[in-house]
Amino acid sequence: MELLTELFPPANFTLLGFILLLPLLGAFVNGIFGKRLGREGVTLLGLSVIFAAFVGAIITYAMLIEHGHDGAAPKFHFMAWNWLELQGAGNGMTFRAVPLDVAFSVDALSGTMVLVITGIGFLIHLYSSSYMAEDPGFYRFFAYLNLFIFSMLVLVLGDSLPVLFVGWEGVGLCSYLLIGFWFNDDANASAGKKAFITNRIGDFGLLVAMGLLLYYVGALDWDGINAGKNSLLQPVKIWPVGDEVPIARFLPGGLADVINAPRFVNAATLVCLALFLGAMGKSAQFGLHVWLPDAMAGPTPVSALIHAATMVTAGVYLVCRLSGVFVLSPMAMAIVAGIGAFTALFAATIALVQNDIKKVLAYSTLSQLGYMFLGAGVGAFEAGFFHVLTHACFKACLFLGAGSVIHAMHARIHDTETSQDMRNMGGLYKFMPATALTFLAAWAAIAGVPGTSGFFSKDEILLMALTSRVTGPATISGGQYGMVVENFVWPEWYSYVLYGMGFLTAVLTAFYMSRLVIGIFFGEFRGWKIVEGWIDPHAAHAGAGHDTHAALAAHDAHGSADPSHAGHADHGHDDAHEAHAHPHEAPGVDNMDGPRPHESPWQMTLPLWILGALSVVAGLLNAHLIHIAPLGHLLEPIFAGASKRVEVSELAHSFEWMGAALAVFGACAPGVAVAYWMYVKQGGAPARELAVKFRGVYSFLQDKWRIDEFYAETVIGALDALADMCVWFDKYIVDGILARLSAFLVQLTGSLLRQFQTGRVQAYAAMTVLGTLIFGLYFAMPHAEVHEVFDDSSGSYKLSAAPGLGYKYRWDIDGESGWDRGDKFGNQTEVAFQLKPEEQRTVRLEVEGPFLVTSSYERVLSRPRGEMAAVEPAAAEPQRLKVRPARKAPPIMPGTQVPAGHPTLPNSPSAAPHGAAKGTH
Amino acid sequence: MDTTVESYMLLATAIFVIGSIGFLVRRNVLVQLMSIELMLNSVNLLLVGFNRLHTGNMAGQTFAFFIIAVAAAEVAVGLAIVLQFYRLRGGVNSDEATTLRH
Repeated sequence: MELLTELFPPANFTLLGFILLLPLLGAFVNGIFGKRLGREGVTLLGLSVIFAAFVGAIITYAMLIEHGHDGAAPKFHFMAWNWLELQGAGNGMTFRAVPLDVAFSVDALSGTMVLVITGIGFLIHLYSSSYMAEDPGFYRFFAYLNLFIFSMLVLVLGDSLPVLFVGWEGVGLCSYLLIGFWFNDDANASAGKKAFITNRIGDFGLLVAMGLLLYYVGALDWDGINAGKNSLLQPVKIWPVGDEVPIARFLPGGLADVINAPRFVNAATLVCLALFLGAMGKSAQFGLHVWLPDAMAGPTPVSALIHAATMVTAGVYLVCRLSGVFVLSPMAMAIVAGIGAFTALFAATIALVQNDIKKVLAYSTLSQLGYMFLGAGVGAFEAGFFHVLTHACFKACLFLGAGSVIHAMHARIHDTETSQDMRNMGGLYKFMPATALTFLAAWAAIAGVPGTSGFFSKDEILLMALTSRVTGPATISGGQYGMVVENFVWPEWYSYVLYGMGFLTAVLTAFYMSRLVIGIFFGEFRGWKIVEGWIDPHAAHAGAGHDTHAALAAHDAHGSADPSHAGHADHGHDDAHEAHAHPHEAPGVDNMDGPRPHESPWQMTLPLWILGALSVVAGLLNAHLIHIAPLGHLLEPIFAGASKRVEVSELAHSFEWMGAALAVFGACAPGVAVAYWMYVKQGGAPARELAVKFRGVYSFLQDKWRIDEFYAETVIGALDALADMCVWFDKYIVDGILARLSAFLVQLTGSLLRQFQTGRVQAYAAMTVLGTLIFGLYFAMPHAEVHEVFDDSSGSYKLSAAPGLGYKYRWDIDGESGWDRGDKFGNQTEVAFQLKPEEQRTVRLEVEGPFLVTSSYERVLSRPRGEMAAVEPAAAEPQRLKVRPARKAPPIMPGTQVPAGHPTLPNSPSAAPHGAAKGTH
Repeated sequence: MDTTVESYMLLATAIFVIGSIGFLVRRNVLVQLMSIELMLNSVNLLLVGFNRLHTGNMAGQTFAFFIIAVAAAEVAVGLAIVLQFYRLRGGVNSDEATTLRH
């Protein structure tokens, strides 16, 4: 032990790294190289990494016990690496940088979970190596399972909410992959999607909770949250969201005041409800429970590992982990307990009438999860968590037993529906004694037979539901609003309601589990008639068609038509033909057609034996009733902070034995007895009578309270309507207008332009010549454009005409009619003149191009300058283009254009091109 | 006789117009190629003629030689295409060379 402590010091507990990495390694190697490793290799690797992790978990736990002698809560840390840091999170009081590290820690709570995950995980891996042996996706299955173990370990070992969230999403992913493992079947794929999407709603709550915790507490790791949790005790305004409700102003005065009245709640309530939403999604509590029964579409070991023993208890783990935060809000705890109790009762009623054995177990799981939340909700975190542990044992045993039964039934028929229907079973005790015995042990535990594990954990929860309640401070004040808010106080009757619901659930549980056990293992085997092609000999004439019947039965036993169930296909039933020794006798177990159900191989029965034994004895870990509670002593320091706010009435001690007796004689015994009377003594007749008599109730329960239908009508219906609208928009707006119309326009333009594309090189050349001519004509035309520069103080204008090839100019700027220097065109491009204040003058310019074409410009200039002129100097007066009559054109003589020595007109040098242009005239 | 640049321009314009009209109206690809040569050479003439205005600068002359070299290469390619076209169609009518329309 000293050596171990030296190797793995509590502050840097690297053993956690090994425990985490091994399953990840297994997942990686199995996933990438599994196909080449072969079945043996995959099994060896998949099993050994989990077993090694299990050994690591045992060492960890032993060290935890060793370090926890002095009553303190030992906790080992392992910091993997610094991830990132949030700068300046939180409000004014807690403003600081929040580091988000990939850090792990283990204490008694998470250590127990790790033991369950790796221990039961290993057993289920072992079981799967035989159950899935013939499946073509064998390596894929083990890769997913290993990945699941890794994710689940991250979830429970994470030292902060973000790391937990990574694991949380990881298990969700693995759950999705494994539910839809046989994805060839559409129903399985949609069950996977349903689980994933429903969980997403819960994950949203968890994300919101993280944001709220960052804001109010400024920390996300467990120690930080526990240190700063008291800042959660402040009022928060939740209504109205803005300053007022927008529609309130349209309402009459009194009503508006009522609607606008601000409402405050405890910040802790918000955080806890958001956290609980996450827990509800993962742990399938009422409202978000719809995915769990459908999740049974996955292979049975998956149902045992993920949807019974480990993943679905993540929500309970979260509530226990943050127990210190949850107890701050009595209201949130009341909701947790209430939803837990209701889920327990609700699921138990459905389980009463289901015939699919996996469905019964699924609803039983829902019901037991509700129990756990009931325990946690009333402040008995220890009892709730202990139920996680015992439930993991007995429910895993039940699911694996069911898997073994289904495996045996597949010897008769390869059909999921039929092979899981308990109406086709019965009397299997004779064929598979090991499965039956272990199943019975687990049945005793879940039904609450005294001394078994389930008895101790359920009894504790029921007792605490009656006697324990969460109390908070009478008022909550502080925060930014300076408000004082009355705290929520649990009403007196609430404990009785919770106890009543829990007690009723216990009765129903004992009943439906007994019904299940009797239906599967006792009575006459009814499965002889499910073989394909079976003809009721009482209806048909004796001897007729028996030969074809035998052939069909033999064919069915060996055929593996359905590839998705190939895993169960080949059991090598040599007894297929022996069964026809006396085909003319009355059918029944002794002389049925086809193969007989048989016991499963040792890889499947060994886990059953271990889990069955644990189901019976695990209760002694925390049996407060008989004062043997080693686990309780370990967990006590973890929940010590939380239990200060939990008030346990005096009744608890005096009622202890009384409650236990009530649980045994009031719940367990009547439930079992009624089931025995109904299904064994009367052969199920009373059940059928009741079903006929209360047809409405029966079908209501059979349809699972029609929650799925309700969701289909409301949520899914609304989404479908939205999708329809989007489809309409896509069809007519996007496709119709955007795509079709623009395509049509392009097509139209194209078909017009295509006429010019003759392919004749001369047509193209003619076009080129035409274009050249047009451009040449444009450039040959004169364009009279004038740029004005005006100085406001002196009133002087300076006008400059735009130059051009072969341009000649004549100006009229003196305000008198007639051109300034006769009708002759000159080379003068710039003129300048002055205006007196308030004077107006009309200025004209005429430009002559090389082909005797002229363009003129005319505008009124004034001082001060007009606004219009300032904005658009050239465009105010449209240019006029006209062809001057040829006779008016004066002969242009070289050298005569330059008007030398004019006082107001500065000379402009003649442009270089003019020399060339001259020659053409 | 002293020739002015204007006379060069007039001659070049005349040759260019003859070349372009020849290209536009004749259907024989060989004649069209010859017309293109005419146009190119008219431009050459213009370049050389303008070069006379800039004494000592031989850029225009050099440019004319470049154009002659490029025109030779172009004609080599053009004649190869014409040869292939003749093998394909059995004639050298440019109106039949419309395959690239599509």
